[in-house]
Amino acid sequence: MTKRTFRRALAGFWWLTLLFLYLPLAVVALFSFNAANSAASFTGFSLRWYERLLGNEEILSALANSLVLAIVSSLIALGVGCLIGYGMYRHRHRKLGWLIVLIYLPIVLPDIVFGISEMAFFVKLHELTGLLQPGLGTMIIAHVTFQIPFVALIVYSRFVGLDPTLFEAAKDLYASPAKRARHFMLPTIKPALISAFFLSFTLSVDDFVISFFTAGPESATLPIYIWGAIKKGVSPEINAIATLMLGAVAVAAILSLVFSRRRPA
Amino acid sequence: MSDAITTDTADKTAPTSVPQDTARRDASSIALQGLHKRFGRDTVALAGVDLDIRPGEFFTLLGPSGCGKTTLLRILAGLEEADKGQLAIGGRDITEVPPHQRSVNTVFQSYALFPHLSVRDNLAFGLKMRGLPVGERNARVAKIAAFIQLGDLIDRRVDQLSGGQRQRIALARALVCEPDVLLLDEPLSALDAGLRSQLQVELLRVQKRLGMTFVFVTHDQQEAMVMSDRIAVLNGGLIQQVGPPREVYEHPVNAFVARFMGHDNLFPVIARNGETLTTPLGELHVANPGDGALLLIRPETLDLLPGDVEGVNHLPARVIERLYRGSHAEYRLAIAGTTLQATLNNRGRHLPEVDERVTVAVAADDLVTLAE
Amino acid sequence: MADAGTLPTARSRAMVREARHLLLTVAPGATWIVIFLVLPSAYLMGVAFMSTGPYGLPEMPLSLESFRRLAGFGFLGWSPGNLYTLLRSLVQTLVATALVVVIAYPIAYYIATSRARWRPIMLLAVVVPSWTNQVIRTFGWMNLLAPGTPLSQLAEGLGLIAPNMGLYPSNFAVTLGLVYNFLPFMVLPLYAAFEKLDTAQVEAARDLYASPLRAFRHAVFPQTLPGLLAGIVLVAIPAFGMYVIPELLGGGKGMMLGNLVANQFAGAANWPLGASGAILMLIATFIGLYAMRRIGRRLGGGEEVVI
Repeated sequence: MTKRTFRRALAGFWWLTLLFLYLPLAVVALFSFNAANSAASFTGFSLRWYERLLGNEEILSALANSLVLAIVSSLIALGVGCLIGYGMYRHRHRKLGWLIVLIYLPIVLPDIVFGISEMAFFVKLHELTGLLQPGLGTMIIAHVTFQIPFVALIVYSRFVGLDPTLFEAAKDLYASPAKRARHFMLPTIKPALISAFFLSFTLSVDDFVISFFTAGPESATLPIYIWGAIKKGVSPEINAIATLMLGAVAVAAILSLVFSRRRPA
Repeated sequence: MSDAITTDTADKTAPTSVPQDTARRDASSIALQGLHKRFGRDTVALAGVDLDIRPGEFFTLLGPSGCGKTTLLRILAGLEEADKGQLAIGGRDITEVPPHQRSVNTVFQSYALFPHLSVRDNLAFGLKMRGLPVGERNARVAKIAAFIQLGDLIDRRVDQLSGGQRQRIALARALVCEPDVLLLDEPLSALDAGLRSQLQVELLRVQKRLGMTFVFVTHDQQEAMVMSDRIAVLNGGLIQQVGPPREVYEHPVNAFVARFMGHDNLFPVIARNGETLTTPLGELHVANPGDGALLLIRPETLDLLPGDVEGVNHLPARVIERLYRGSHAEYRLAIAGTTLQATLNNRGRHLPEVDERVTVAVAADDLVTLAE
Repeated sequence: MADAGTLPTARSRAMVREARHLLLTVAPGATWIVIFLVLPSAYLMGVAFMSTGPYGLPEMPLSLESFRRLAGFGFLGWSPGNLYTLLRSLVQTLVATALVVVIAYPIAYYIATSRARWRPIMLLAVVVPSWTNQVIRTFGWMNLLAPGTPLSQLAEGLGLIAPNMGLYPSNFAVTLGLVYNFLPFMVLPLYAAFEKLDTAQVEAARDLYASPLRAFRHAVFPQTLPGLLAGIVLVAIPAFGMYVIPELLGGGKGMMLGNLVANQFAGAANWPLGASGAILMLIATFIGLYAMRRIGRRLGGGEEVVI
C-alpha cells in the first residue's frame, strides 16, 4: 500500500467515524421536525412538537431546575475549587498525598456508586436529623462534589504554569495580600476560571446518574424528565427538547472554537 | 567559621555621585546585623552577616551559586525572613515589615513582568497599589519611560518584547516607584554578551544620575568590578571581604576571594625572613609581606625578559604555552617545577615564543600575601 | 549558629502562618468532599455488611447475607442470574474497550498528522457529541436501532435478526452504545501521545527495518503506549459501572452490574445487596487503576500514566 492510498483510507475512515458520531444526534434533530408521530419514517416538516413543548409545564420546570442546578453548583464549585487549587499550588512542596487522593476520588468513583452513596447518605441523614430532604439542594451538593476536583485541577495547573517570581513581584510592588488577590491572582487566572466554570456547567448538564439518585419528587431536571418520558414510551416531544439541548451544545462548541482561536493557548 | 573577614574601607572611597537631597540619602542607607538563615534542617544560607551599605552606593554582592547572596537580597526585599538578626533601612528597623510595606523594589532575574497587563500597566502597577491617583500615575510612568528611553515599547504587550526590552521594562517598573533602595538579582544574566555589556553601561548611568542605592547580585566578577562602588564577596553564607573593586582584586584577603576574582598564581609561603619569602618558585622580596600564608602574584604585574637576566625578584623560566590575544598575550610558564601565569601587554616588543627561555621579573611592591 | 534542635522564633511564626494558610485554602473543599463523598461511601460500604429489613432497608445485626445473595444464593436456592450479569459486564467492558481502541487509534493518528490549523477543529468534532447528555445520545441510538428503521431493516435483510425485532434491545446495542459513548475518551489521550511522537525515531526505524509494519511495532507503538493506557483507564472503568446505556439499550437480558446495583435502590429495593454490588465495582475500579499504574510504569519508560 502506498502512502497516498494509506492517507486516503485514513480519510475515509475519519469521515465514517464522524458519521457514526453524528448520525444519532442528526436523527434526533431530524425527527424533532417530523409531522408524524413515528421514529421510523419522516412524513413531513412540522414544528408541532416544539409548540407542544412550550405548553408543557413539567418540561419548563425541568429546564429551570437544570439551569439553577448547573449555575448554582458551578458557582459554588468555582469558589471552593479555586481555593483548593491555590492551596495546592502554594503548598505544593509539602506532602499533600492525602489531598490528591481526596481530589481524585470523585473523578475515579463510578457514577453509580457515587450516586447511590449520596442517596443512601441523604436518606439516612434526613431520617436522623430532618435535614437535607432530597431535592434541588441535595442535587446541588452532589454536583458541587464532582465539580470541585475539575475546578481545583484547572486552577492549579494555571498557577503551576506561571513564573513563581510573579507572586514576589506583586509583593515587591506594594500589593497587600488583598490587593494581590484582586489585581494579580484573579486577573491572571481569569481564563482558567472561565474554562473551569464552563466545564463545571457542562458536567452538571451532562450528568444524569448522580442527579437521578439525589433528586427529589419536585426537582426533576431535563435529563431526568427525558429519562422518564423514554421509560414511559418514546414521545416525539423528547426529540424536540433533545434538539434544543443539542443546539445549546453546538453554540458552546462554536464559542469555544472562536475563543481558542483568538487566544492562543 | 572564624575565617570571615570584613574589611571596612569607609574612608577610602567616597560615593561617586553626590545627590543633593540629603534626607533621601539618609533614608537609603542599609544596615544588616547578625543575619542568619537556614533552609530546612541542614542548608545554611547565611551564617551571620553584618554589612553597612551607604546611601547612593552601587553595592554588589558577589559569589558563587549557593553562597547566600540571593538569600541576602531576598531578605532585603522582605521575600524571605531571617531566622536571626536585624535589618534597617535609613536607620529604621524593618526586620518584620512585610515586603509590600518596604520602600524597596526589585529587578528580578526572570523580570517577572505581569503577562496579563500591558507594558504601561506593568509600569503603573506599583503606583496603583500604593494608591496614587491616576493623573500622577500617568505622569510618573511617562517620566520614567522618557528617562529609560522606552519609546514605543510602552504600548506593546509583554509577550511581544525581546529579552533586553523586558529587562529595561523591569528596571523601569522598579524605578518608577522611586524606592529608597533598588535590588537587582542577576538582572543581566539571561542576556547575550553584547547586549549585556551595553546594558551594564546603561544601568550604571541610570544609577549615577538618580543617586539611588543599588544592591546588585551577580556571580560574574568582571561585571561586579565594572559596575560597583563596593563589592562584598560571599562564600558559605559569610562575607569574605568588602571593599572597592580595586582593593578586592588587588588585595584579596584570602585564597577564596583571590581565586574567585580570577587569580591562579597562588603559592604557599614556605619560610620567611623579614621581607624575603621562600616559595616553591624560589626566594622573593616582598615590600609589605604581612603574615599571610599564601603569596599572590598577579599575571599582569609580571615582566618577561628574554634569556637569563640576573637581579632581585628575577626568576628563570621556560614558556610552555602562549595565547596571543591581540592587545596582550597570556603565558603559561614552567618555573622551578611548578607553573606560573603571566600576561604581557603587546606594546610591539618581542613576545617570547613557546619553549623560549625567559626571566620573570616582578616588583616587590606588586606582591601581596593573604590567608589560606 | 542556631541549634539544630530548636527553631528560631521567626521560623516557627512563619510555619504557623503557612499552616494556617493551607488550612484556610484547602479545608473548605476537603471538608466538602469528606462530608459529601467519603462519609457517604463509607456508609454505603457499611450497609453492605448489614441485614436486609422490611422495604429492603438495612438494619442490624451485621451479616454477610448480601454477599451470598450477590453470588446467587437466594430463598429459592442458587441461581446464576447475578453471575451472568457480572460476566456480561466484564465481557461488554472488554469488547467495547477493544473496539474503541481499534477505532480511536487510526483516528488519533489521522488528526495528529493533519494540518495544524485543522487539528483543533477535528478534535472538537470528536469531542462535541460527548458534551451532550448521555441520555440523549443513547436515545439517538434507540431511534436508529428501533424496529422498522433502515438499519434494522438492513439487519433483517441480511438475516442477522428475526423479523420485526429491531436491533435494540440487545447486547449488540449495548456494545454499540458503549463504543459511541467512550470513543472521545480514547481519542484525546492517544492524540496527545501521537502529537508528542518523536518522528526522528520513526525515521530511524524506517531506515533500519525498512518495513512500515515493523517500524510501527518498534518505534511508534511503544511511544503511544502511555496514551493508550490512559485511554483504557478512562474507558474501561466507567464502562464497567455503566448504568444508562444497558438500561435503555439492553433490556432485561442486557443488564450489567450498574443496573443490578441501581435496581436494589429503586424497584427491587435491597440496599445491602446493592451496596455489596457497589463494593465489587469499587474493587474492580481500584484493581484497574492499580494495574494500569503498574503496567504503565514498567512499559512507559518512566512516564507516569496520567489519570
